[in-house]
Amino acid sequence: MAHLTRAIPNIFLKVPLNTTVTGVLKRTLSCSPTLSIQAPVSRPENHTKCTLIPGDGVGPELVHCVLEVFKAAQVPVEFETFFLSEVNQAMSAPLEEVEESINRNGICLKGVLATPDYSHTGELETLNMKLRRNLDLYANVVHVKSLPGVKLRHQNIDCVIIREMTEGEYSALEHESVKGVVECLKIVTKRKSQRIAKFAFDYATKNNRKKVTAVHKANIMKLGDGLFLNSCKEIAKLYPKIEFEQIIVDNCTMQIVSNPQQFDVMVTPNLYGNILDNLSSGLVGGAGVVAGASYSSECVVFEPGARHTYAEAVGKNVANPTAMLLASAKMLSHINLQYYGDLIRNAVNRVLKAGKVRTKDLGGQATTQEYIFAIISNLR
Amino acid sequence: MAGTLCARLNKLSSFSGITVPARKVAALSAYDVQHKHPFAKKVTPIPKAKYGGRHAVTMLPGGGIGPELMGYVKEVFRYGGVPVDFETVQIDPKSDSNEDLEYAITSIRRNGVAIKGNIETKSLDTDVISRNVALRNELDLFVNVVHCQSCPGIKARQKDIDIIIIRQNTEGEYAMLEHESVHGVVESMKVVTEENSERLARYAFDYCRLHGRKKVTTVHKANIMKLSDGLFLEVSKRVAKEYPDIQHDAMIIDNTCMQLVANPHQFDVMLTTNLYGSIVSNVICGLLGGAGLLSGRNYGDHYAVFEPGTRNTGTAIAGKNIANPIAMLNASVDMLEHLGHDSHAEVIRTAINKTISEDHIHTPDLGGQATSIDVVQNIIKHVQALSKKCQIVAPPHLMSRHDTT
Amino acid sequence: MANHLLRKINLSLPLCRRYSTEVRKATLIPGDGIGPEISAAVQKIFEAAHVPIEWESVDVTPVRGPDGKFGIPQSAIDSMNKNKVGLKGPLMTPVGKGHRSLNLALRKEFNLYANVRPCRSLEGYPTLYTDVDVVTVRENTEGEYSGIEHEIVDGVVQSIKLITEDASKRVAEFAFEFAKKEGREKVTAVHKANIMRMSDGLFLRCCREAAEKYPEVKFEEKYLDTVCLNMVQDPSRFDVLVMPNLYGDILSDMCAGLVGGLGLTPSGNIGINGALFESVHGTAPDIAGKDAANPTALLLSAVMMLRYLELGSYGDKIEKACFEVIKEGKFRTGDLGGKAKCSEFTNAICEKVA
Repeated sequence: MAHLTRAIPNIFLKVPLNTTVTGVLKRTLSCSPTLSIQAPVSRPENHTKCTLIPGDGVGPELVHCVLEVFKAAQVPVEFETFFLSEVNQAMSAPLEEVEESINRNGICLKGVLATPDYSHTGELETLNMKLRRNLDLYANVVHVKSLPGVKLRHQNIDCVIIREMTEGEYSALEHESVKGVVECLKIVTKRKSQRIAKFAFDYATKNNRKKVTAVHKANIMKLGDGLFLNSCKEIAKLYPKIEFEQIIVDNCTMQIVSNPQQFDVMVTPNLYGNILDNLSSGLVGGAGVVAGASYSSECVVFEPGARHTYAEAVGKNVANPTAMLLASAKMLSHINLQYYGDLIRNAVNRVLKAGKVRTKDLGGQATTQEYIFAIISNLR
Repeated sequence: MAGTLCARLNKLSSFSGITVPARKVAALSAYDVQHKHPFAKKVTPIPKAKYGGRHAVTMLPGGGIGPELMGYVKEVFRYGGVPVDFETVQIDPKSDSNEDLEYAITSIRRNGVAIKGNIETKSLDTDVISRNVALRNELDLFVNVVHCQSCPGIKARQKDIDIIIIRQNTEGEYAMLEHESVHGVVESMKVVTEENSERLARYAFDYCRLHGRKKVTTVHKANIMKLSDGLFLEVSKRVAKEYPDIQHDAMIIDNTCMQLVANPHQFDVMLTTNLYGSIVSNVICGLLGGAGLLSGRNYGDHYAVFEPGTRNTGTAIAGKNIANPIAMLNASVDMLEHLGHDSHAEVIRTAINKTISEDHIHTPDLGGQATSIDVVQNIIKHVQALSKKCQIVAPPHLMSRHDTT
Repeated sequence: MANHLLRKINLSLPLCRRYSTEVRKATLIPGDGIGPEISAAVQKIFEAAHVPIEWESVDVTPVRGPDGKFGIPQSAIDSMNKNKVGLKGPLMTPVGKGHRSLNLALRKEFNLYANVRPCRSLEGYPTLYTDVDVVTVRENTEGEYSGIEHEIVDGVVQSIKLITEDASKRVAEFAFEFAKKEGREKVTAVHKANIMRMSDGLFLRCCREAAEKYPEVKFEEKYLDTVCLNMVQDPSRFDVLVMPNLYGDILSDMCAGLVGGLGLTPSGNIGINGALFESVHGTAPDIAGKDAANPTALLLSAVMMLRYLELGSYGDKIEKACFEVIKEGKFRTGDLGGKAKCSEFTNAICEKVA
């Protein structure tokens, strides 16, 4: 009996071990040319539904651009549009309705919501925060990548900033204990810290990233940021193939403006993430070119990475729709419409690389409309 | 890993005569026994890998036809628009170290769910334990469920079989505690614990209730192995009393095999120890039409691993485009159901059934002429047609079943 | 109580202005590592420029106090108390030695409520950004670094960010006063009041109130994230920035990053009854004693000190000389890509100011 079992491995060894799936498929394809299992990508005919929130400022214009590109590319997505706004409450759709729609569809494309620094009702929570809390959109992912052909101070930036969005400084727990003394609570919990850390590592695993850097201020906030840091360390043990580093937030900002190429995936608590998002967006061309996404376990909201309403440009036909388009491309990849996502992404890259048609923020002369036309004619 | 330790002891006793007294080895491995089966492993739950409705799932292609079949699964998922991302972990079958395996286990711990082919353990070194077994033990996947159901389109000796095998997956004969006490005398230990037996029995009866089944049959050999199988039988009888609405009987393994080939319709749910489960499931697979059809599910308290029902590598037919993709696809459908993507699961399951029963596109093992790719092509065709009809995004409130904890 | 009164009467103005013609005494804390070298360089340059300052060098190596805890020697505290101004080189921060860090102790002792850091691109030393000229004014006593933290239940930590009207007003008025004195055009309040509506809201309100008192200085308010975004795109948009503790910590380091790191940026801590100027870079033990360190940061801090003491004319002269030497490029230290020694660099400046 023992002889038998030991003999088996020798048979195994005769089989070429490097036989990969594609190798097998290719070989079989050549024998039966009529069958092509490796069709380019799926182009399903049924339409996927998606919630759309145009937002404030130039949001509606940018969303219109996206719709035009989608139409030209014949993307099989149907939008359910809700106008949601805090500054213009009279026109705003009820939050519950919007939430219900996002919950049902699982995906949402959202412009930027303006957050005024006071509220008529005296509420401490902004609409954005409410939406995040109610949908539990805890992870914000901003992929900062240098655009092809755009000449800026820094080149070859490619980092991902993952930010916890439901606690920390943004808990909206504030009170005036004595007149003239305001206390603002920053809450850090182990559960949520672990959750965001795991998200970051899973993201790194899925996207073949090599390193995760935790950004903190645990030298001063020993308990709060200390808890965050320790949770990251704990989760890091589960990922032996991914390097883990930590950096103090002030040093991190200094490093990122002088040597941003050293960073890969960064995981941060709420406020630091906001700072780093905007900082690194500035490095690659501003708020108009960086796409972001907010994840809960059930749904995703795709939005521009650095959130600025750019209200002064409303109606001037100058806003840069790149961030919104890239966000929509990410959305298409997320719902298994990789083909269309790539189509749009490649068109944007081609237009930017050619450099002839660019909006003002990237040093060009083109209007939003001209830019969109250029992208549409590059959809191929 | 405890397994490595006992394998090492194994080696110690086998080389250089009998320098290590057998009794000492046995005394040592008592610790191993305990360490190896820390009843119901305690795990601190970590957040699940589900982001924006997409699940991350560990994929272990394994050896032989595994990689091909996984390729088909990915294809079908792509066409079906299934929101699942795979983290593929390759385990080098030749390697003597268990690094890959440990990484695979860590990966499953993170993701909670895995789909796997059969992992080969090619090394002749006794140090290297069977990786399939190690994986199950490490993750404490104590129950293996195989749903054996006849397919109307396949010619088989027995028709309308519908049996569920619930098999103990982590102990019994597969404890891997073997040693050569004296030269030429090998002892192999079979471990049965009350706690694991009870967990399993409860799972079986709960399963019956949940799926509207009528009867549980405990398969054993308690007439010979009075203590070990005796315990297993006794526990199942005790648990059965708590479920008066479900019938319970017991059958000895040799009789079971005879009954299965003669009159399989008498069985409903079968509750078995590790080795008997292996035997029984392979017998039924043979009755239904071979190894290429059925899928198996492995559950623990925290993790779930899906694989083809009969654990064969299929090395001989690897790369020939004749392997039957149905078993692996069925496993992937099981996985989708577990993850709560019911509508996607339904679409793919229907596509598979249509291909087998209506279109009669069968690979050679089912007596057909089609290649693997023919079958997959046809399934994809159906998947696309079906997903056109129904809205594919499942409502989120259905997606909560991922919490096995 | 006396402090309190003083603050009411003479808010944020240096106490020492009326002595400006006399020879002033200033405390010097040389520091560790390269500290003594660069302090000596600064002293030498001051001498060459005939600055009416007499240095009083003190040692701040922690000693065991009467209560058994390690702390700063009383003599150093006395010296600072007497002189009201000090210049400090880099100090090693002993980790976990059980005594309070010197910075913290001095901050508490002299109520150093505002941290000022000018960041300017140096001509002749090109970095990625060439048009940086911003001053960050950071509230230094409260905010996120209040140190009030506790674990409510297992796994849930709450830390309190404290914003008070007094402190916010104090730092806001200082920022405007500073802008006015230095001839700067604009003060930008950096806040996040759209999220933290009450706490940052209070800070913002104090800034607005202060702005009304200084109509000659432009005032704008910007969100923290917008500032970050705009700063790296076009730093010339900003002039003086005033903000709470944490934002200031982050932004001041970031601005230093824009102009080539902490080796060139001076820093000053302004308090109610004293001011401490320091270089914020590290002690660089690897080049200590090799005559290779760059004294620019400490020198510029000393220049800030001169301006604080209303000895601005000396300050301008020294600053100009320093920038010229760097621009000419003949005597640059290793960190600026040159080969000159610290002493050569110092001598070159001395020649210019003499």
